[in-house]
Amino acid sequence: MSALLAVIGPAFHQLQGQLPASAPQGNNIVAAQAAIGSLFSIHILIAGLVSGAGELGPAIEFLGYMRQRRRYDRLAHGLGRFITLYFSVSSTIAILLITVLLVGFWGHFWTTIVTIGFWPLFIEAWTFVLQVSLAYLWYYTWEPLRAFKGLHMAIGGLLAIASFLQVYMIDVIASYMLTPTNPQNPIRLVLNPTSYPLTVHRTVGNLAYIGFVFGAFCAIRYVRARTQEDKAFYDWAGSFGLLWGISMTLLQPVVGYSYAKEIQLHAYASWYKMMFGTLSPVFLWQITLLGIMLITATLYFGRRLRTDGARGAGLLRAFSVAMVFTTLLAAQPYHLAFTYADVAAAGLDRPFWDGGLINPLGSMIPWKVLALMFYTLIAIAAIVWYLRGLPGVVWGTARRGEERLLMLMAVLTMAMMVTMGFIRENSRAPFLISGEMTIQGQQNTQSSQPTPAPSSSP
Amino acid sequence: MGRLGAAYNWFDERTAIRSLLRKGLYEAVPVRGAWFYTLGSATLILILLQLITGIFLTLLYVPSVTEAWASLNYLKQHDAFGSIVRGIHLWSAYILLFVIGLHMVRTFFSGSYKRPRELNWITGVGLFVLVLGMAITGAFLPWDQAAYWTAVVVTNIPAYIPLVGSFTRALWRGGDFVGPITLSRTFGIHVWLLPVILFPLIGAHLALLRKHGEFGSYINYRGAYRSREGVDVPPAPQQRPIEPPYPAVPTDELWAAPLQTEDFYPHQTFKDGAVTAALVILVFILAVAIGAPLEQMADPSTTSYTPVPEWFFLPLDELLLLVPKQLIPLVLVLPAGGVLLMLTLPFIDRDPERNPFERPAVMVPGAFAVLFVVILTLLGSGRLFNL
Amino acid sequence: MARRDPRRLSRRQFDLLGTQVAGAVVAVLLGIPIIGFLISPLFRREEAVWRKVGDIAEVPEAQPTKFEVSFPQQAWTAVEIKAAVYVVKRNGNYKVFSNVCSHMECPVRWQEALSQFLCPCHGGLYNIDGVNVGGPPPKPLPQFVHRIDGTTLYVQNRFTESI
Repeated sequence: MSALLAVIGPAFHQLQGQLPASAPQGNNIVAAQAAIGSLFSIHILIAGLVSGAGELGPAIEFLGYMRQRRRYDRLAHGLGRFITLYFSVSSTIAILLITVLLVGFWGHFWTTIVTIGFWPLFIEAWTFVLQVSLAYLWYYTWEPLRAFKGLHMAIGGLLAIASFLQVYMIDVIASYMLTPTNPQNPIRLVLNPTSYPLTVHRTVGNLAYIGFVFGAFCAIRYVRARTQEDKAFYDWAGSFGLLWGISMTLLQPVVGYSYAKEIQLHAYASWYKMMFGTLSPVFLWQITLLGIMLITATLYFGRRLRTDGARGAGLLRAFSVAMVFTTLLAAQPYHLAFTYADVAAAGLDRPFWDGGLINPLGSMIPWKVLALMFYTLIAIAAIVWYLRGLPGVVWGTARRGEERLLMLMAVLTMAMMVTMGFIRENSRAPFLISGEMTIQGQQNTQSSQPTPAPSSSP
Repeated sequence: MGRLGAAYNWFDERTAIRSLLRKGLYEAVPVRGAWFYTLGSATLILILLQLITGIFLTLLYVPSVTEAWASLNYLKQHDAFGSIVRGIHLWSAYILLFVIGLHMVRTFFSGSYKRPRELNWITGVGLFVLVLGMAITGAFLPWDQAAYWTAVVVTNIPAYIPLVGSFTRALWRGGDFVGPITLSRTFGIHVWLLPVILFPLIGAHLALLRKHGEFGSYINYRGAYRSREGVDVPPAPQQRPIEPPYPAVPTDELWAAPLQTEDFYPHQTFKDGAVTAALVILVFILAVAIGAPLEQMADPSTTSYTPVPEWFFLPLDELLLLVPKQLIPLVLVLPAGGVLLMLTLPFIDRDPERNPFERPAVMVPGAFAVLFVVILTLLGSGRLFNL
Repeated sequence: MARRDPRRLSRRQFDLLGTQVAGAVVAVLLGIPIIGFLISPLFRREEAVWRKVGDIAEVPEAQPTKFEVSFPQQAWTAVEIKAAVYVVKRNGNYKVFSNVCSHMECPVRWQEALSQFLCPCHGGLYNIDGVNVGGPPPKPLPQFVHRIDGTTLYVQNRFTESI
């Protein structure tokens, strides 16, 4: 809670300081930012699911083929259906964002970035075509190609590759905006310092996200299911989604930490302020949220096993308790003021038990790092124990409590996704391209003077 | 029967070479999964390649801080064939590390470490660690900038072992700093100490393999042992009589024989040979086209050289970057814990099930471990690219 | 047995051939560089260098006098190696001998008492003109390729005849 409160004050304060007085075309800058920010968040929330489903669906189909279980096939088919239904929604929002908001508000910036990242964006556009064609092909040839499962899975594999390429290409652009390199060298551009970590972080994140979301979706369907067959399927699929999501989430602290290290090495100013200074309220919020997600998951694991009296339920409850303590450790703020400078200025630069405002338990190193490691280790143990207990579970017997946990999980994940997007996009301020093009600079080119050529030197 | 045959008979009468060869060559190996077993033979051949090229390199190389670099520089400047030999030594080592990793992953995923093959797995883990040790010590020897800084960083890692750290470092370095004794000791470790453990262990690994036979693909055994649901499935009829080393009477579902076998020679040797030859051709091309690099001679006073780790050291190097100062021993604990887990794996996972898709409780953490190493390598290489 | 099946036989032969071809490929790709590396010193000529030995004006008649000279060593080694040079003056002509015995390349030395060069290893004897006069040496004492500028002697790191 402290984290949540701490985040709001300085966040708005800092944002206001960084923004110019008015947006292009005389619009209110806050309104413009809010419009772009909220639309991008919605876009990310849906597009993340679509690309995650494009990668996970074929994988599940393959798993089902190897295990000869029909329910995997049904789940993969469902994910295919999801892509065909929601692909257009996310693309429509993207088109609206680009054609109206980006070109309209930040025309000069947009021209520059398209000039620099022409080939990645060109490939990006074609991967959209490829992805949607393959997605429809994959979904609609399901029954016709049932006798030729190998061919069908090959189509699915191509779909997964197209989905990955799509994320990768836009990540090249996004990472370039934070850590620009020589744009004349295409290899440098594609492999700029943060493109690797960002791509891994986002791909794994999308995979986790789709797992949590279809888990929640299946929980809702489970509650409404009439037949025993449906109940069994949705119970299993919900569990599978959560298990998959948590497994992917576990990779994220390492990748994210490494990503932050890259930002620290190559865009120090952004690194320093992306979590809002020394208190890092955004990070506190993030790490607490992660803790809550992991508590929810271990709780689900324990409860799901206990419902059927499968082995391991007791130990999983102990894991939940351990996870709660770890989250409490992780949520500690380092000092009880907005900035360290305030603390020092007030002469309270000593531990709280000496009457100061410093909380040594809240330091990043080593406590937060330790907390992240405990998160990972406990969660891996929980996953293993849950998997060991699974043969004792009879699908279709879950109680409402478990399904509620699944639904909660999706909400928590969405909050995490939006937080992540906010951190990334806000970290560059006041730059649009880090160190090269400021919001103010972009503003100036919106006057009646001719637009100067985009600077392309690193 | 000519003179040669007579000589062979004379020799066979005294050594029983014929029956030894027969025993070695004509053994039943499973038909299914045979291409997977080539990873093992490729590992063996690549290690032998290391041995051969290594022996010949010692005919020139001088393990001395003043002459190590000079001798290799002479090779680079004046001896095209010698440079190729050194290139083969380096590139086959790189490919060996990759192939031995694949071999381990294959063994893990196919559950081949289960009873009765626990000791095959344990000797294999030992071999893996030894090969890594060979790779790291070998990287010290050219004594160019890359080698020198590898030596400095790598010998520093054990310094963070609690209590005995600085002692261990001094032991390896032969003093407080990297110098002539470090090079001599590392050379001795590389050409004597590790090989005399490595090669007997390879012998044990192969002997155990021959004792129990290959277990490469669970498909081989599909239906031959009790399925997970507890329904007894009668073993499918053998297409050929069961041959050694597979037991004639499967008293235990674990000891079932594969459904179909064929002779090791020439059928398996053909597959092994094809893969090996492809790898050797690849190594040769890399050795000729790229060769083994030799940077400037070691210069501790440099302020412009950026030390870059060997690629197989990247995951650990990335950990060195990520782990904060209070937790540096973790860089040791994680790999040591990994090795310990690998050694105890056959005793942790004793379920007879071998289908990788039916034992997620082992596969998922295993996949985590592999992913973790792969991701660290990716992140590390991305970082180095943008230095 | 299955050997009678012609198809089976051909596959067996194919695998046999494949194994042999693979073995040959490995042997050739490995063998060529290794043998080349091994024999490469045979095809490398040491560079001929001239070294100044010193002033020979003071060398007495019929009295072998020892000088020392340094030559570069093989390959990369920076440290030079010393060689002994016996200068013999006979009737105004100079002969420049090495101390390398033509038998097993042990170091010969001038024995005043014998008035001969004696090899300590196997008792080889050379007279003052370097002719092998006793013991196992098959050839005369080797002479350096040399030139004299005024009274300054220069030698090359090679002999007039190979030993």
